[in-house]
Amino acid sequence: MSAVVGQGTPVVKDPGAKDKVETPFRRFASEFMESRLALGGLVVISIIILLAILAPFISPQDPYDLAVLDIMDGRMEPGSLSGDGSITYWLGTDDQGRDMLSGILYGLRISLTVGAGSAFIACMVGASLGLAAAYAGGRTDSIIMRIVDLQLSFPSILVALMILAFLGKSITNVVIAIVVVEWAYYARTVRGTALVERRREYIEAAECLALPRYRILFRHLLPNCLPPLIVIGTMQVARAIALEATLSFLGLGVPITEPSLGLLIANGYEYMLSGKYWISFYPGIALLVTIVAINLVGDQLRDVLNPRLQK
Amino acid sequence: MRDSIRMAAAAAVSAAAMAGALGASPAAAQQVLNMGVGSPVTSLDPHYHQLSPNNAVSDMIFDKLVGTDAAARNIPGLATEWRAVGPTTWEFKLRPGVKFHNGNDFTAEDVVFTIQRLPNVPNSPSSYAAYARPIVRMEIVDPLTIRFHTAAPYPLMPMDMTNVRILDATTHANAATEDFNAGRVAIGTGPWRVLSHRSGDRIEFERNPNFWGEAPAFQRVNYRMVTNDATRTASLLSGDLDFIDQVPTSDLARLRRDQNMRLSETVGLRLIFLGLDHLRAENENSPFITDHEGKPLGRNPLRDVRVRRALSMAIDRKAIAERVMEGAATPSGQFLPPGTFSHVPDVQAPAYNPDMARRLLAEAGYPNGFRITLAGPNDRYINDSRIIQAVGQMWTRIGVRTAVEAQTWSTFVGRAGRQEFSSFLIGWGSNPDGSHPLRNILATVSRERGWGASNRGRFSNAEVDSLLTQALVELDEPKREQLLIRAQRIAAEQVAVIPLHIQTNIWAMRRGLTHTPRVDELTRAQDVRPAAQ
Repeated sequence: MSAVVGQGTPVVKDPGAKDKVETPFRRFASEFMESRLALGGLVVISIIILLAILAPFISPQDPYDLAVLDIMDGRMEPGSLSGDGSITYWLGTDDQGRDMLSGILYGLRISLTVGAGSAFIACMVGASLGLAAAYAGGRTDSIIMRIVDLQLSFPSILVALMILAFLGKSITNVVIAIVVVEWAYYARTVRGTALVERRREYIEAAECLALPRYRILFRHLLPNCLPPLIVIGTMQVARAIALEATLSFLGLGVPITEPSLGLLIANGYEYMLSGKYWISFYPGIALLVTIVAINLVGDQLRDVLNPRLQK
Repeated sequence: MRDSIRMAAAAAVSAAAMAGALGASPAAAQQVLNMGVGSPVTSLDPHYHQLSPNNAVSDMIFDKLVGTDAAARNIPGLATEWRAVGPTTWEFKLRPGVKFHNGNDFTAEDVVFTIQRLPNVPNSPSSYAAYARPIVRMEIVDPLTIRFHTAAPYPLMPMDMTNVRILDATTHANAATEDFNAGRVAIGTGPWRVLSHRSGDRIEFERNPNFWGEAPAFQRVNYRMVTNDATRTASLLSGDLDFIDQVPTSDLARLRRDQNMRLSETVGLRLIFLGLDHLRAENENSPFITDHEGKPLGRNPLRDVRVRRALSMAIDRKAIAERVMEGAATPSGQFLPPGTFSHVPDVQAPAYNPDMARRLLAEAGYPNGFRITLAGPNDRYINDSRIIQAVGQMWTRIGVRTAVEAQTWSTFVGRAGRQEFSSFLIGWGSNPDGSHPLRNILATVSRERGWGASNRGRFSNAEVDSLLTQALVELDEPKREQLLIRAQRIAAEQVAVIPLHIQTNIWAMRRGLTHTPRVDELTRAQDVRPAAQ
């Protein structure tokens, strides 16, 4: 991989360049837009983020307030009217009489916060260690990369389960568990890119100027490692969301009175055989759409940002 | 769309049923019974671990002096009759002509050996030693008559003997628990002989042709442990199993509709109730109770009986039984169901009355309620975590804002035992005798007397204690029953615990079988028979 990347920075391929000033961002944006699918994914993600932010204002019910739930409204079919006639459960209710639509909107908040938050923290940790490994080399490099290898050799769900069993269950601990599981991916990616960039002339130049090490690392090396980091970051957000859902499904994430998408699916799972499909089905769809949309965007980002795939 | 899903489901079910019918011809069905049980059996040693699944299997291999019928009333077992021949002496007449699976005769020597073994089973996680403790001396009158001498009058002797499976003095002289588990000495007088045992997976039995009682209906039994609820139901529907226990409530509606399935159900003896913090004094803080701003109250509201009544009244037990339990529960205000010895006839399940509850709270000085955390297990009782959420809703509606904390049983029970909670959900499977819940849950904790072993809320009432003390030495059954009823009535009036419901025990089987449902939850092959044509 490094050999190919080494062929040079992306050059403007189109000889008949338009009169417009072509900034890197504009070029990036136009290349990204080439895929309708990715554009659709971006639109879907924007809508989902908007829905999640606005959830307290647009949900018919506060699904986390026990006082407004009524057990007598439990497991109602989609489209049913609540017992007191105040709201229509468009997507039905779960076993506690929680409006599924509200539950999903609030669940998306948790999923996105945990997903983006843990991916961001994992990125900070992983990228720093990856840069350090590449720049320092030698023993530091071996130690960090052997830890990465060790980390990646364990199934991530197993590691997360062990961490949560040890720390106890809470949303913060879920974030910690996901960070511990995922930082290694960032570290490895950043190290790979940084090893190549490190031998470039501009780093040598920076070193000749006797700039402090942290400045070289973060102001010179890191910005040039960003493209692969962005790609892997997007993918890892999706992965983190899926992992949070899995942990919640197994009963290790959020408290039962504040369900995330994974816990909503778990709540309905037992009723599947009885034909009450909607309790698991709709949160499942929401989860699926979110993850697919993020992955579509991530795929296109990779195509655009990877010089090897430049047309 | 819904209709098409329903049709697809119906088609799948009928296809499965047809496959089942083709696979098992009627003659073969009489030969082998495939049973699936939801809880693993931890040992074949009948004196190792007091646990319903173990007792069920022990009942298939061994016999007790006193048996119990489906409603948990005492019936003759290996003893044909018993009586108190003196204030401190019980005499048991043994059944003649009974043989162990290996041909050895059953005599009074075997009873003596068995009682002596009870306290001497190493590493027992839940010992049977308590049943041997009251007996100070055993006297063999003749090979078929034995007398137990006790230090004080002991009315519970026959009931204790319903828990003790009789072993053979010669076969089991040096038998260890491992020898039972390996199947080598799993030899009793019961209706089934053990063919093989794979721990945690399955036990294979064959009929004991020389059984002294009613002959078993099947040649062989595969007793399989299928702990996953969905798998158990699916295996029954696919014909892989003929009979399952612990039917998940979420599958009840569907199995009731299915023409090829039969359900067998009875009100059980397991009460699900809420324990309350009686330990902290009136002027102390209870760990999980605060005012609405999260500041400590400076007092323990649960020590006020009006608050306890309000919390009990705020609960719509019927809604929980119908909506959460799918009808597989009966609301109750006490430990024992109607029809059992020492059931209190005039204590009903508290009626749902949120207005009255709010008034009582105001009277007690909490017009705006307070905040509380209700804890409970999420893997122990049927729908446990769903029940605490429903109770949380109902309490919140009278102003007691409730947070719900569900956790795994092993963590939960340890914390409950250290009085870490203010309120918590727990269950109790009773013997059909009021002295059992009274002594374990409602009596003041006392290690010397062995009282209050499961009194996790630390309720204490002198009157209850004194009535129980009298009942425990009263040999006259009607008098004893009245004492127990009075003690339980006081506990109910004082809201020692908040009873919710008694679980219904449910089994499911394919068409063509019948089952005698047992209140004690035991799943035994001798209770299953082919249905009359």
